[in-house]
Amino acid sequence: MQHAAEDKLGDRLIASWVSGAHLQFADDEARERYQARARLIVDTIRLKDTGRIPVIPAATQRFALDYGPVTFREAMTEFDKAFAAYVRQYEDTGFDAYVGPEFIFPAGMFEALAWNRVRLPGVHLPDDKSFQFVEAEYMKADEYDEYLDDPSDWVLRKYLPRLSPKLEPLAQLPPLRNMLVFHQGLPDLVLAAAENPGVVEAMAALKASGEAVQEWSEYLGRIDQELGGRLGIPRLLGAIAAAPFDIISTYYRGWRGAIVDMYTQPEKMKALMERLLPWQLEYGIDGARALGHPIVTVYLYKGADGLMSDEQYEEFYWPTLKRLLLGLVEEGLLVWVFTQGKYDSRLHHFKEIPAGTCLIHLESGTDAFLAKEVLAGSQCIEGNVSSALLATASVDQVEAYCLKLAEVCGKGGGFMMDFSAFLDEARRENVKKMIEVAKRSGRSSS
Amino acid sequence: MPQELRDAIVGLRMDEALTRATRMVADGTDPLAVIAEGSEAMQAIGRRYADGEAFIPELIMGGEIMKSLSAAVLPEGSGPSAGSSKGTVVIGTVRGDVHDIGKDIVALMLGIGGYTVHDLGTDVPVEDFVVAVREHDADIVGLSGLLTLAFDAMKSTVEGIAAAGLRDKVKVMIGGAAVDENVRAYTGADGWGDDVGHAIKLADAWTDGGA
Repeated sequence: MQHAAEDKLGDRLIASWVSGAHLQFADDEARERYQARARLIVDTIRLKDTGRIPVIPAATQRFALDYGPVTFREAMTEFDKAFAAYVRQYEDTGFDAYVGPEFIFPAGMFEALAWNRVRLPGVHLPDDKSFQFVEAEYMKADEYDEYLDDPSDWVLRKYLPRLSPKLEPLAQLPPLRNMLVFHQGLPDLVLAAAENPGVVEAMAALKASGEAVQEWSEYLGRIDQELGGRLGIPRLLGAIAAAPFDIISTYYRGWRGAIVDMYTQPEKMKALMERLLPWQLEYGIDGARALGHPIVTVYLYKGADGLMSDEQYEEFYWPTLKRLLLGLVEEGLLVWVFTQGKYDSRLHHFKEIPAGTCLIHLESGTDAFLAKEVLAGSQCIEGNVSSALLATASVDQVEAYCLKLAEVCGKGGGFMMDFSAFLDEARRENVKKMIEVAKRSGRSSS
Repeated sequence: MPQELRDAIVGLRMDEALTRATRMVADGTDPLAVIAEGSEAMQAIGRRYADGEAFIPELIMGGEIMKSLSAAVLPEGSGPSAGSSKGTVVIGTVRGDVHDIGKDIVALMLGIGGYTVHDLGTDVPVEDFVVAVREHDADIVGLSGLLTLAFDAMKSTVEGIAAAGLRDKVKVMIGGAAVDENVRAYTGADGWGDDVGHAIKLADAWTDGGA
């Protein structure tokens, strides 16, 4: 039995991640700091009462860049500048884990493709604003059957051309499934490519986009080495997977489209979610293996309180999300479930997942004290310190709120201090106070 | 028949609502009267939302039905009659923020609730708000923003309206998931809300529309 449990992918990844095997440590002190912090993160998710409240960042964006100062535009184009800002921010603060610029994507990746889904600083927005995704209807209401019939064809010839004008020529390719009949398929495919200079240009655009990503990935690796290997701060973000409902409503149909589908073609929507579920599981598990990281993050978008009724949540949202979480946990992986928006009425569902496997992020709209009550003994919670508080309130106000969180939510373990959302505007002294309270409360309760 | 149309809309049965609406027009009902029935049904959905019995999907689906219904029964190019308006609202997501869902729902429900709404869209520069307030003689300005990055843009929009000498003419509400009383004070707005119900309550309080 013992042996079987140790064989799980997640257990192997936890052991190697906690040891920091992927890093070159600057010295023994860095190694010890790293290992103690990584162990603390895992133990807290496992609901052990460690006597110490870890303090983690949901992600820091403008807050980190201000240490340059570096604009969002620069952070997307001049990685060395952002690198320095992030390192300075983590040197100055004292978090037990880091989330770096993993979501400040390289501008070149989007620009080479003229990607429709984003509004970029320096192109559509002022240089000092974060890039933002634009939700739109990239899948039409009548395309469910086509998608279900041949998903890759839909992605290649419908989705990509709608996401990028540079990839529009791909719509003119014959279906790749024609290649199933070699003699007919091959000449059709190569001829369609050869006769259409746009296809060649599309490939060139993909190549240019890929080069920007290569440079950026290398920079993320350098950050990991610097923050992990020198400062001893473990990287919190590993592989990512998504709730099937969120994929449809956020990436394909847009929220409006998804809502209309819930009323007009619920069965097709459910069939697509069933199709997406095993792919998301595979994506999360393979990603964890490739990154050597035991925590898979699932950002949740459209399931918050008020965004749908309890009945709709239970019919459309939760069933495939639950199976996604169970599937990841079955592999021994830990899941960072990043709820967004008010989540009070949904929290009890996380008790359906084996205890001590999920780290549930709470935004400020969610009642953290209720969450503690509901999830004590079943899942670890973190977050809730409001961005508005950190940006506009006094140090004393921040201290008072964080002390209450530490006292109530930190009781008995299973809690990490964190802000509500990706951190942009915030007073440094407020953030430092939040960190100090977590560390102080931990010591006093141990 | 009007009751059945209202029931179909409140029940969010798109096809039935459209069939009933087009049949009513074919039978001689004034298309504007059909739209008025629809608006009444939407208000019923809005009341259910305010009471916590309906959720955003109901508001959005109801709005989609109304959109299709207007397209089906009204001659092209004409809009529903403004009728008597409770007040004029200029609304938009502030400069640097392109999130639209919250703002769209508030705009939809204020419109259904009897306000004349001018929606400026997303990423709206200060000057555009100022021009729209002047041009439409607005009573209320709604500033939306999901990101904390929007706080400064909200503040400068309020300042821009003041600099144009229009601050005394309008009430300003800010809305978004991250706003609270601290943010309201910081931006200099008159009120704040983090859901559509707040927005309507504020508007009604400011215009006596709730009386």
